[in-house]
Amino acid sequence: MGAALAPPAREQVARLDRVWKERTGLLGWLTTTDHKRIGLMYFFTTLAFFAAGGTEALLMRTQLIGPNQKLLTPEAYDQLFTMHGITMIFLVVIPMTTGAFGNYLIPLMIGARDMAFPRMNAVSFWVFLGSGIFLYIALATGQAPNAGWFDYVPLASKQYDPGLNIDFYGYGLIFNGISSTAAAINIVVTIFKLRAPGMSLNRMPLFCFAFLAAAFSLIFALPSLTLACLFLELDRQLGFHFYDVAFGGDPLLWQNLFWIFGHPEVYIIILPAFGIATSIIPTFVHRRMVLFPLVALAELLVAFLGFGVWVHHMFAVGLATEVTIYFAAASMIIVIPSAIQIFSWITTILTGTPEFTTPLLWIIGFIVFFIAGGLSGITLAAIPFDQQVNASYYVVAHFHFVIFGGAVFPILGGMYYWFPKVTGRMYHERVGQLSFWLSFVGTWVTFFPMHIVGIDGMPRRIYTYVASTGWGALNALESIGAYVLASGLLLVIVNLAVSLFKGERVGADPWEGDTLEWSTSSPPPAYNYAVIPTVTSAYPMWDERDRRRDQERLEGGRGVLARGHETPASTVQDAELDEVLGMPPYSMWPPLFALVLFVGFVMLLLAHYLIAAGVAGALAAVLLAWHAREPHQAPLDSTGAAPPPLAREAAS
Amino acid sequence: MSGALPGGPAGEPAPLLAGEGLALQPARSALARSGEAAARMAAERKAQPSGIWGMALFLCAETMLFVGVIGSYFYLDFRVEHWPPVGVKLPEVLDPSVLTAVLVLTSVPMALAARRARAGALRATVWLIALAAFVQCGYLAFQLHQFVAEAHTLHPQASAYASAYFTLLGLHHAHVLLGILFDLGLLFWLRTGLSDYRITGVRAVALYWHVINVIAVAVLITEISPSL
Repeated sequence: MGAALAPPAREQVARLDRVWKERTGLLGWLTTTDHKRIGLMYFFTTLAFFAAGGTEALLMRTQLIGPNQKLLTPEAYDQLFTMHGITMIFLVVIPMTTGAFGNYLIPLMIGARDMAFPRMNAVSFWVFLGSGIFLYIALATGQAPNAGWFDYVPLASKQYDPGLNIDFYGYGLIFNGISSTAAAINIVVTIFKLRAPGMSLNRMPLFCFAFLAAAFSLIFALPSLTLACLFLELDRQLGFHFYDVAFGGDPLLWQNLFWIFGHPEVYIIILPAFGIATSIIPTFVHRRMVLFPLVALAELLVAFLGFGVWVHHMFAVGLATEVTIYFAAASMIIVIPSAIQIFSWITTILTGTPEFTTPLLWIIGFIVFFIAGGLSGITLAAIPFDQQVNASYYVVAHFHFVIFGGAVFPILGGMYYWFPKVTGRMYHERVGQLSFWLSFVGTWVTFFPMHIVGIDGMPRRIYTYVASTGWGALNALESIGAYVLASGLLLVIVNLAVSLFKGERVGADPWEGDTLEWSTSSPPPAYNYAVIPTVTSAYPMWDERDRRRDQERLEGGRGVLARGHETPASTVQDAELDEVLGMPPYSMWPPLFALVLFVGFVMLLLAHYLIAAGVAGALAAVLLAWHAREPHQAPLDSTGAAPPPLAREAAS
Repeated sequence: MSGALPGGPAGEPAPLLAGEGLALQPARSALARSGEAAARMAAERKAQPSGIWGMALFLCAETMLFVGVIGSYFYLDFRVEHWPPVGVKLPEVLDPSVLTAVLVLTSVPMALAARRARAGALRATVWLIALAAFVQCGYLAFQLHQFVAEAHTLHPQASAYASAYFTLLGLHHAHVLLGILFDLGLLFWLRTGLSDYRITGVRAVALYWHVINVIAVAVLITEISPSL
């Protein structure tokens, strides 16, 4: 590309390289505000937590491989299943989707140069890392949360669980929620404000619609969890009585608050998976999505309806029949937007010319599991059946089909799909397909028999069982499946890790993909796009004329936004060009903010409230100093020289 | 800048070569070195700035927090026969109502501050924010004084009612405190004058106060509901 550039254009691109250059080395990663680097940090951190959560799962499966196993004590088992749930939901799937995929891809897909709030983006990451460390300190010191991921009181009350275990849960999840809320706000504003000129809402990729829906759900659902945890800690640490029947409280208040968060949470987990699926399918079947507008609306509708069904997690607690019937009906309605999407995916694949490469295989696997898990979901929305299998392995089977097969498969498919974009190299296709088939078979063998043992009466969360129950054979099969699955996942990592160094080099668009991220180089430059692309359809990469015009503008040196550290903003609905925003460059404040916050939560955990109040004061001081200088004032002078040393920034 | 996108002939997409204009148009905030210039540029914008969107979404989350705590209050209320429990005196109506009315009135200077900021009038903006902050501090001082006094007679550990009552008020006071810190932050940041960035800041803080004041009314109604 560089060779074809006219001298003025070459100068402009060189200038962009200078202006958008960040610090190098470790300090560069610490102070970065580049959405791609933050996305990568999210990716590797969540991968580490995925390994931890997976190890916990394998330990549990090994314990259950036969009756009366003694690998784990009951106490250790309690901590493991709780940490497995918390890890996979709060430290893997949410940060992997909103953090890693959302961060890396949304600005690229909408033709922006960064997220709307680059420093808050860094805060999200560092706070997420802090909350993960906070929760894993609990496991390392043997006091991990141990009342299940939904942590029901009174089991989780001080009376029955006097250690710090549950306090780690309460404060850890409030801490984690700060990160997710900040990330969600950032995603919404980025999608609303920073779309390339011409990308009106109806031309926005379905990926962005899915992430928009998930981000809105996060913003509206998380406060309920925060509040539930706040009440819990007030009860536990200060002797309040929100959940204590003896003093007029009610343990069901916890369940309601938790599931008002918890059910939207399920869609927060699955919606980004829908988004990834709708990115991969058009590329590999070489056609546009069938029913594009309906799929976009269905994604938003799923998120919206998700707020009205939480009681279906509580059918067995003895609520009035009128209440449970309403929620059963509401839950059935979710079938409609889900079916719209499933039929759209299937029809698009059937009417296209599918190329069964690794990413598409993961998506087809996802569709299979999502349908299977959706069918068992319908059975669970039937109240009498739900009461029969409540808290049994049937439920475990259902949500692992929809969360592991449904949400994680597209994540893995997405890892393969965007690997060439992020690294500039191609993964090994044959090994990729092998990793898919191992994981696919492993997932079936692990989770399908759980339906049977569940109906047979095996309760979830028991650390062992006796031989006379007759559950031994199926449990052994499940455990073998888990090892097969683990080997499949390991193969994904090995494939990508080896390809990172040995993979064949590829250009900007190895797939002939449909969305804008494929128009910039692989990996993209720090500023993503020299010429801000213009968009006239939802499949901008297939609009050859538009892309040719962008290229002509670049080559002619016209329309390169190269004056400074800037990105354009457009109007919310029609994406008319509105203004040019000066974007803040790298900053030391976000990791500092997260560090102070971490200290604050440790102090709250240890009930040092006065110190915690002092830390809150320090936090306010950090924010005051941080915003003393305006973002565009920071380092760039009119010649576009490299940013000045960090000392000046920290001193201000 | 707003004229950079003339509509194309019918059927043709608008000539989106706006990018050619982009190169010549520096970031709005960087250009405006005086309050008036900043105000002029802010007025040219077609959509709300990112800062307003960010604050609005943050306030959605905060509103949900209060929906949750008020919902929990009434959830516990409806589950027991006596709310508050027998022997606990009913909450005062007059004092908190008057105090809340005073707090809600501070929305007026905050709204005016946002307007003056958009007109580029630095002095008026600063004084209006200072006035609002002064009244808000007085409100918070009064409330905290009563909060502590009540905590000595009605212990939050005494019943679920007391727990809910103190948590509801405590959360609201914390939000008022946060708003006052925003005010003080603005006064500190405005030392260097108004810019497009600071105008957005003033508007965002004004928005924060409007929402917190609406929530204040909901909190008041909840708080005094046993006496109504």
